[in-house]
Amino acid sequence: MNKNVNIIIDGKTITAKEHDNLLNVARQNGFDIPGLCYHPRLSPTGACRLCVVKIEGTNGLVMACTVQVKDGMKITAFDEELENNRRHTLSYLLAEHNEEYDETYHDEFRPLIERYNLKEVAQRPIKSIWQNIPRVVDDTSPVLTYDSSKCIRCFRCIKACEEIQGKGVLSFADRGIQKYIVAGTGKWGSSECDGCGECIQLCPTGAIVEKPHRNIINIYKIDKKVVTSCPYCGVGCQIEVWTQNNQIVRVNGVEDVSPNYGRLCVKGRFGYQYANDRERLTQPLIRKNGKLEPATWDEALTLVANKFNEIRQKYGKKALAGYSSAKCSNEDNYIFQKFIRLAFGNNNVDYCTRLCHASTVAAMIRSLGDGAGSNSIEDFETTDCLIVIGNNIIETHPVTATFIKRGKQKGQKIIVIDPKWTPLVKYADLFLQPRLATDVALLNGMMHVIIKHHLINEKFIEERVEGGMQAYEQLKELVMKYTPDLVEQITGVPEKLFTEAAIMYATAPTAMIATGMGMSQQTVGTNNVFALLNMCLITGKIGRERCGINPPRGQNNVQGATDVGASPVMYPGYIPVTNEENRKKVAKIWNVPFEELDPNPGLTTLEIMDAAHEGIIKGMYIMGENPVITDPNQLHTIEALQNLEFLVVQDIFHTETTAYADVVLPATSLFEKDGTVVNSDRRVLRLRKVLEPTGEALPDWKIIVEIAARMNINIGNYLNEEEIWNEIRQVAPILSGITYERIEKQGIQWPCYDEYHPGTSTLYKDKFNTSSGKAKIYPVEYQEQSEKTSAEYPLVMNSGRILYQYHSATLSRKSDVLNAYASESYILIHPDDAVKYKIQDRKKVKVCSPRGELITTAIISDEVLPGEVFMPWHFHESPVNALTRNEKDPISKIAPFKYSVVKLEAI
Amino acid sequence: MKNDFPYISLKNVDKADLTKIENYLHFGGFSAIKQSLGLSADEIIDRIKKAGLRGRGGAGFPTGLKQSFTKTSCEVCLQKYVVCNADEGEPGTFKDRYIMEKNPFAIIEGMIIAAYAIGANKGYIYIRGEYEQAIRTMQAAIDDCYRYDWLGKNIAQSNFSFDIDIYIGAGSYLCGEELTLIESLEGKRGYPRIKPPFPAEKGLWQQPTLINNVETFSHIPFIINEGYEAYACIGTAESKGTKLFCVSGNLKQTGVFELPMGITLRELIYDVCGGMLEGFEFKAALLGGAAGTFVDASFLDVPLAYETLKQKGATLGSGAVMIIDQATNLKDLLINILEFFKHESCGKCVPCRIGTTLIYERCKKAQLLPDDINWLIQQTEYMSRNSLCPLGQSPILPVKSFFTYFNV
Amino acid sequence: MQNKQTEEQVLEILKQFKPEKSEILKALHALQNAHPLHYITEEAITQTARYFKLTTGQVYGVVTYYSMFSVKPRSPFIIRLCKSPVCYMKGSLNLWNYLSQKLLLNENNISSDDLFTLEPSECLGHCEQAPAMMINEQVFTNLSPKKIDQIIDDFKRKYHEK
Ligand SMILES: Cc1cc2nc3c(=O)[nH]c(=O)nc-3n(C[C@H](O)[C@H](O)[C@H](O)COP(=O)(O)O)c2cc1C
Ligand code: SF4
Ligand code: SF4
Ligand code: FES
Ligand code: FES
Repeated sequence: MNKNVNIIIDGKTITAKEHDNLLNVARQNGFDIPGLCYHPRLSPTGACRLCVVKIEGTNGLVMACTVQVKDGMKITAFDEELENNRRHTLSYLLAEHNEEYDETYHDEFRPLIERYNLKEVAQRPIKSIWQNIPRVVDDTSPVLTYDSSKCIRCFRCIKACEEIQGKGVLSFADRGIQKYIVAGTGKWGSSECDGCGECIQLCPTGAIVEKPHRNIINIYKIDKKVVTSCPYCGVGCQIEVWTQNNQIVRVNGVEDVSPNYGRLCVKGRFGYQYANDRERLTQPLIRKNGKLEPATWDEALTLVANKFNEIRQKYGKKALAGYSSAKCSNEDNYIFQKFIRLAFGNNNVDYCTRLCHASTVAAMIRSLGDGAGSNSIEDFETTDCLIVIGNNIIETHPVTATFIKRGKQKGQKIIVIDPKWTPLVKYADLFLQPRLATDVALLNGMMHVIIKHHLINEKFIEERVEGGMQAYEQLKELVMKYTPDLVEQITGVPEKLFTEAAIMYATAPTAMIATGMGMSQQTVGTNNVFALLNMCLITGKIGRERCGINPPRGQNNVQGATDVGASPVMYPGYIPVTNEENRKKVAKIWNVPFEELDPNPGLTTLEIMDAAHEGIIKGMYIMGENPVITDPNQLHTIEALQNLEFLVVQDIFHTETTAYADVVLPATSLFEKDGTVVNSDRRVLRLRKVLEPTGEALPDWKIIVEIAARMNINIGNYLNEEEIWNEIRQVAPILSGITYERIEKQGIQWPCYDEYHPGTSTLYKDKFNTSSGKAKIYPVEYQEQSEKTSAEYPLVMNSGRILYQYHSATLSRKSDVLNAYASESYILIHPDDAVKYKIQDRKKVKVCSPRGELITTAIISDEVLPGEVFMPWHFHESPVNALTRNEKDPISKIAPFKYSVVKLEAI
Repeated sequence: MKNDFPYISLKNVDKADLTKIENYLHFGGFSAIKQSLGLSADEIIDRIKKAGLRGRGGAGFPTGLKQSFTKTSCEVCLQKYVVCNADEGEPGTFKDRYIMEKNPFAIIEGMIIAAYAIGANKGYIYIRGEYEQAIRTMQAAIDDCYRYDWLGKNIAQSNFSFDIDIYIGAGSYLCGEELTLIESLEGKRGYPRIKPPFPAEKGLWQQPTLINNVETFSHIPFIINEGYEAYACIGTAESKGTKLFCVSGNLKQTGVFELPMGITLRELIYDVCGGMLEGFEFKAALLGGAAGTFVDASFLDVPLAYETLKQKGATLGSGAVMIIDQATNLKDLLINILEFFKHESCGKCVPCRIGTTLIYERCKKAQLLPDDINWLIQQTEYMSRNSLCPLGQSPILPVKSFFTYFNV
Repeated sequence: MQNKQTEEQVLEILKQFKPEKSEILKALHALQNAHPLHYITEEAITQTARYFKLTTGQVYGVVTYYSMFSVKPRSPFIIRLCKSPVCYMKGSLNLWNYLSQKLLLNENNISSDDLFTLEPSECLGHCEQAPAMMINEQVFTNLSPKKIDQIIDDFKRKYHEK
């Protein structure tokens, strides 16, 4: 932290931090010095020349935005000369500027024109010249329009794109008075721009304006501006949502607040259209004569309650199960798991986490004690070395990636390990491309290198690893078998590359790992993460600031749902259900006899589906999930659902799963909800109601409470979400200290044990959360896949996400903007394979696996290795999970979405 | 006129083809390096300071001082750089081209000594893209130096190593401004950086960088070889040594002339260049290029030196001396110069981007009334106080001097 | 003559330069000079961006900043006629008009025979022999209409001989 210094502005003494930006300091202290090119999030530019001041001892005029505060500085911010200068500068700018204004954007320039008495043309010392300057308009982007006649050439958009988003898509073209902004070679639509809209947010004059809703938005007629959390991925970006007539018309990033500090990605800024979509569910539906027909709430709720009771009586409590939702709030999920445990009398509650990071969580809990990322999002910028493995972070967590790209600008070392090229490779120092599902071999090989080069951290192992050097010796014995030759042979990664990577990681003063679905969604998912953890532990790259391991989470509330107990094995706050003490404590808070709480672990997501398939589960309650698309082996899932006696699906849209439901209950969307979520770095963030509910839709938790009441289950009375949250705080000690009031402006990271606890930015600084307080090494061997390529199925298919669509795309495909960028399924195939299997670029192909088949478009690309293909799984018309299998990782029960043998046929 | 002065930048160029390294060596070339390698860095810088050498790029900043700033600006740096500014874009200036084409090794020798003095191992010569011949000559000279071990590792068997690369500009006057030149060297658009920090602190790739003009570097070998006294006794009180004057216009002789600082315009025109061409009369001169000042006949006997011209509100600048005769339409010439600024403004800052257009357009008015003239001067004054870099601060020089001496 | 630059040709040229930022301007010069129509194509910009790890926008920005570069097709010969003060005093404006008429320039200042592009230039540093111009890398000074006739005819002749 810089020291405090005193400066004097216009006679007033002000305390500031040394080296702080003078313009910023002055403005914070009430000196409203004008300035258009400066933005607190950007490096100073000094282009507009409006922020002129005088500094004693310095000749001439100085631009405040380019000055760092020094002790004893004496500044004149306002006098006649300075104000005259500013007025003159403004009148220059005005001469160059097209003043038409349509009230569709916030303009920082106009108020200055009034303030300096330049509104009337007669008052202006300089005549307009903008009409004579070539006007460039670029309307090719799906999200924005640029008009050079409104551009004041302030560099804010360029710097927003480069310094904040790390993309550098924009530049000026030409020079002098003719210069204008370009993306690419002059067409935004075909440039590298990915539509995050950072430049729109930072443009001060409407030269770059947002396209969507331009025809209806009027910034003087905005009804509401509400801050809430983004409904898409697990970064948890804070957004300010503007509405007109109960319709979202604009979304901006909230400046100055973590985790995103104003930044957004294309989905967060433009993906909101679904909230007002006409296809939203508006009333309860009951299946009558095979068709879903509208019903009243009372009808539907009573039916659901009766049916659940009936099944429980007829088949016993093992016959019911529920899927909770990573898209719902903590409060919804908490009530849902409470409902399952009390109304169904079992622990059969799980959700899609099982499909993404269950293996990661399983390994982390066993080894470290907590199943969450150990660091803060900010650390992605400041760590010295970052391994990104099995994680297409630029596309799946675009805002986290901005921190990485900024780190790169400051010299961070980046190692990308992925069987498929990802955009982060452009920023990487090293790119290792192992064959699919050979990660354990690669990581063991890297540890072999680390050990051989004596780069282990003995002190750390002695002090912080259970069993100390003895445990290490066991690991060593195992990994020493992974000789470079063997590893190169298994993984296909050259020895030189993984040696360099291992040394780079081990020798960096601080280093972090970001792991992703590429690691977790395998039959060896848990082992993959154990291998990563072993590498962290022997090098001591965890348990300190800017060191650790992080699995950025896919859904906006995957983290929170488990935190508040949507788990077959754990109560809220990671308290095992099998422990009697725990059950007693929970029963007391819930005000129920403790015998009513089932001491046995419940079924996991895929086990539930299997049990349904086998006829053990008869009734299911699915809240906000779409297993037909998201679960592996689609045919199996459909059969299971058809096999149920009673299926309730609660959602905001019809999905592929509602097709099999007996009752469909309309819930409110995230924009219609109050509550909280937890993001990837364990930050509890607020959700706030932006829109009135659609039709008769109700908040998820209210629906659950109503069903419980009709089942005569004492689930509690809650007036609002805050009351539910306060109960969660009682049950889950890690969340105890976090109140709605404390997170009004800024989230807090758990664990946070009491209201004075500041929250925890880095986990395990003092001890690990295991019983011994030490971390555990679990040596793991590389295992070959049981699924093998053959003459019939010669290729291995990998699957994953892309920037512009989201999961099963129920939400994202409602957005015209996102569809404009990407709305079609495809499969990537290596040029060599394309020749071999006679596949043509951008032509339709049939993809078959032993489980099923689908049709998509082939794209020939060297982003994949020979022998491997890649498909995004967002598109229901080409459902990737028709091809995947439901074999499970033995520990975490996750499915191998990343490894299916397939063949391709041109059609 | 004093005839008894030694040539420095153009030493021996009349005697042999000095683009050949053998010839340069024959006339004692590179002996200054050998001497310097035996001196401490501080001793070298001290000699440059005592010689009174001032930068020949236009601003006249004391070269020794700049060297010591660059030397001491950081204790441990990744790297320091020496950059030779050969962008020569100032209209009416062509001396750097002349030196590069005639005496390339002197520039390199000067750079090597400067690099040794400040502790740099890498140098660039930034030559404007239009100077094809100079680029070729300099490249050949650099290649020769590597061949003869005057560049590269362990120069003259010392511990000192130094590399030079040529960088080629692509048509931007502003890129001659030192911090803009550095931006350009980094492969970017030529936008000036905010000062401070100066290049001596944070230059190329944010490392300390010594940047001097071609002519400046070419003076260093002489100072080392002949001693600073020999140098300091040439010129005037505050302008030491010789200067290359670039004389153009309708004179009997035009070209680059190396002369002691302090020579008068009259001597230059009538003694050195043999007077005006038949049918032409001296009317005015533009000293220092577009970013220079107009002077009239009253200046004929003012010594051409930094301090003497400054006293009279004029500037020596790069050494351009454009002689204007009675046949030239003065106002058209002013418009021409203002068009130049408009064309070369990078457009980063408001006063210059818009101001250069405004004054150009106003000046084109058929008849300039006193109001127009006041307005023009006001704008250039405003620009000079508010612009980010010297380009926008410059139009005041020609504009104000123009209206001081001439009415249109 | 082929008026195109293939992707391979572009890559071949780029490979001559170290992939360091301080080589970009040199690479762009080389690409432009190697193109029969003396300009920098979109393909060249895309490849240059990839080679130097920049975005196309950044390279486009650089190309359009410097007046020696062009993103528009030009012609085998680029005439840069100085119009800075000294040449101006010595009549470069007349020479401009003379050349325009002689070459029958179109709206892009390209001659009717598609061989020459006429561009104004700032001071070329040959003021002692003003007026001056360059054709590609060659400098011509002390120009007069007569001298220009000779030079242009020379270029035409040599071009057609090739
Ligand atoms: C617009 C502008 C253009 C300039 N062009 C040149 C130039 O072409 N050559 C040069 O040596 N200095 C030029 N300068 C001066 C340089 O900024 C810098 O002062 C000089 O390179 C320092 O070298 P010196 O100390 O040896 O003079 C220019 C300055 C400005 C403001
Ligand atoms: S488009 Fe907007 S942000 Fe960009 S330079 Fe122009 S005015 Fe500034
Ligand atoms: S003064 Fe002119 S040239 Fe200098 S930064 Fe401003 S606009 Fe650019
Ligand atoms: S805000 Fe300081 S120059 Fe623009
Ligand atoms: S003015 Fe034309 S060459 Fe200098």
